Amino acid sequence: MATVTLHNIQKRFGAVNVIQDLSVDIADGEFVVLVGPSGCGKSTLLRMVAGLEEVSGGEIRIGAREVSNLPARDRDIAMVFQNYALYPHMTVEDNMGFALKLKRANPADTAERVKKAAAILGLENLLQRYPRQLSGGQRQRVAMGRAIVRNPQVFLFDEPLSNLDAKLRVVMRSEIKAMHQRIGTTTIYVTHDQIEAMTMADKIVVLHDGNIEQVGAPLELYDRPANLFVAGFIGSPAMNFLDGKIEEGVFRTEKGLILPLPAEVSPAKAGGRPLVYGIRPEHIRASDQGIQGRAAIVEGTGSEIFAKLDCGGEQLSCLFRKRIDVRFGDTVSISIDAKQVHLFDKATGHRL
Amino acid sequence: MASVSIETARTETGNKRSKPSRLAPNYWPFVVPALIVIGAVIVFPWVFTLWMSVNSWTLGQEQTFAGLDNYIRLATDFRFWESLWHTLIFTVLAVVAPLFLGTLAALIFDAQFPGRGFLRGVFVMPMMATPVAIALVWTMMYHPQLGVLNYLLSLVGIGPQEWIYNRYSVIPSLVLVETWQWTPLIMLIVLGGLAALPREPYESAEIDGANAWQKFRYLTLPMIAPFLMIGVIIRSIDAIKSFDIIYAMTQGGPGTASETINIYLYNTAFAYYDIGYGSAMAVVFFVIIVALSFLLMMVRARTNWSDMETR
Repeated sequence: MATVTLHNIQKRFGAVNVIQDLSVDIADGEFVVLVGPSGCGKSTLLRMVAGLEEVSGGEIRIGAREVSNLPARDRDIAMVFQNYALYPHMTVEDNMGFALKLKRANPADTAERVKKAAAILGLENLLQRYPRQLSGGQRQRVAMGRAIVRNPQVFLFDEPLSNLDAKLRVVMRSEIKAMHQRIGTTTIYVTHDQIEAMTMADKIVVLHDGNIEQVGAPLELYDRPANLFVAGFIGSPAMNFLDGKIEEGVFRTEKGLILPLPAEVSPAKAGGRPLVYGIRPEHIRASDQGIQGRAAIVEGTGSEIFAKLDCGGEQLSCLFRKRIDVRFGDTVSISIDAKQVHLFDKATGHRL
Repeated sequence: MASVSIETARTETGNKRSKPSRLAPNYWPFVVPALIVIGAVIVFPWVFTLWMSVNSWTLGQEQTFAGLDNYIRLATDFRFWESLWHTLIFTVLAVVAPLFLGTLAALIFDAQFPGRGFLRGVFVMPMMATPVAIALVWTMMYHPQLGVLNYLLSLVGIGPQEWIYNRYSVIPSLVLVETWQWTPLIMLIVLGGLAALPREPYESAEIDGANAWQKFRYLTLPMIAPFLMIGVIIRSIDAIKSFDIIYAMTQGGPGTASETINIYLYNTAFAYYDIGYGSAMAVVFFVIIVALSFLLMMVRARTNWSDMETR
C-alpha cells in the first residue's frame, strides 16, 4: 500500500496537449475515481500511472519512489483492463499466478495465493477453465484476481465494468467496493459513469479536456459543485440550468420566470451580472401552489416519476419521489427548495 | 405459412396425377460425373495398387498372385529400411529448419522498419520458383570445382566441400535447398498469426512484470502455436512426399545415400519394373502418412487455444 502523487503531469500526443499540468494527491488506501466524458484524458492519465504511456512532463510518485521513468513492471502496480486482457491460452489459475511465475516465486506459495484470491472472488470452481469458457462477469473477476494475487501497492482499474450488462455492472460495482474495503489497497478507478463514481469513490476527480474540474468526496461534488461542468456532470438526471439575473431579491430568467433564491446569496453582490441558476430535478417538489408548468414528458419508473415541465417557456426537469397523478399535457404546480439552489457566474462558469 | 404449405401440397398431388411415378425425380445423373472422376482418379488406382501389391508382377513377365510375399520381402529389405530412415531424417530436418528460420523471419518482418514491404517481397520469391529449376541451379552451385558455394567458402578460408556428392552431406545439402525454398511459406503463415494476436495481453504482461523474452516465451509462442502447427502439417506433408528436388539433384545417390521411400519405390516400379513390389511399398508408405497425419491432427488440437472459443 502506498500514496500516489501526481505532480504537474503533462501529456502531449504530437502537437496535441491531452493533459496539462495536472496534480492530484492520493492518500494511502484511498479509493479514487477519475471520472469525465470520453476523451477527457482519464484513461491516458491512468495508463501513465501504470507505465503504459510515457509522461511528457511532471512527476509520478508511488509512496516515496519517483516512478515516472520506470517501466511498468518495476512500479509494483496491478491493473484491470476494460476488455479484461486475460491470457487466452492460460487457465484461470495460470492467469492469476502468471505475475508470480515471472518472479520465480515458489509454486506452492503461488498456488496458495491464487487459491486465496479465488476464494475472495468466488472463482474456486473455475480455476482450470480457460477465459473463453467464462462469462463476462467471471472474466472480470479473474482480471481482478490477477491483480489481488500480486498484492501490489496500487490497483488501477480502467473502465472495468463497461463491457458488462447493466445488472451485472451493479453487482460487480459492489464487489469491487467490498474487495477494496477488505484489502484496503490504494485504488485508482477510471470511469465515464458518474453513478459508478458516486457509489464507489472515497474521492472523485472530475476531468474535462485534460484539466481537473473539481476534486472532492462524492457528496461534496453533489452538494457543492465548483462549476457548471461538474454540476451538469454529477447527478442523474442532470441539473436544470436557467439563464437569468438577480433582480429585487429574486431570480428572473431570461424568459421571465421568477425563481426563489437561497438565503445566503446577497443580491447586492451578485445582482446585475448574467448568472446561471441550477436546481436538481430531485429538489423540485409538487405542491398545491407555486410555479405552474405543463407536462411535456412524463416517465414513471414506479419508485419515482420523471417529468419535463414547460414553465412559461423554460424547460424544467423534475423528479417526483411522491406518486402524483400527472399525464402528458397536465398542468402541475411545483415548488423549488431554495436551500438546494446553485448559482453560477455565466461568464466564468464558477460557483458564486 | 399454412396457406403456402397447402399450395405446395396441391401442386405435388397435381404433378403426381399428370406424371406417372416412373418419372419420379431422380437425382443420380447429377452425381454420376463426379463419381466417375473420383472412381477413375482415386478409387480405381487405389484398389489397383492394393491388388498389385499382393501380386508378383514385373513388367514383361506373367502376373501371379503372391499373397503377402511382397510385404514379407519389404520387412527384410535392408534398402527399404534405409530409405525409411533417410525419409525420416530428411522430413524432420526439412520441417524443423524452415519452421525455425521462418518464425525468426516472421518476427523480424513483423516489426516496423523502412523497406519492410520490399524486403518481404524479395524474401518470398524462392517460393514462386519451379522445384526442378531450383534443383538445377543448386546442383550447379554445389559443384565441387565450379560451384559458387565452394568459392564463397574459400573466401572465408574454409576448404571445398563435396555437398551432394558425399554420402554424409547429401541429405543436409538437399534439406538446405528445401529450406531455402520453403522458409518464406512458414514466414507468411506465422506473420499472419502474429498480425492476428490480441494486443491487450501484452499490456497485462508488461504490468505483470514480463521482460521481452518472457513475453515471447509465455505469450507470443503459445499464441502462435496453432499457426506453427499449420506450418508443421503443410511442411511435413510436403517433405515426406518430396520427390522432384531429390530426383533432379541426386536421384537418390551417391549410391543410395539420399534414397527416400519415394525415390526407392519409383526406382523399383519404373526403373526395375517390379510393379508388385513397388505397390506394396506405396501401400506401406500410405499407412505411414495416414498415421503421421493423425498424430499431427492430435497435436494440433492440443495447441489450438483460439478454436476452442466456440466449443
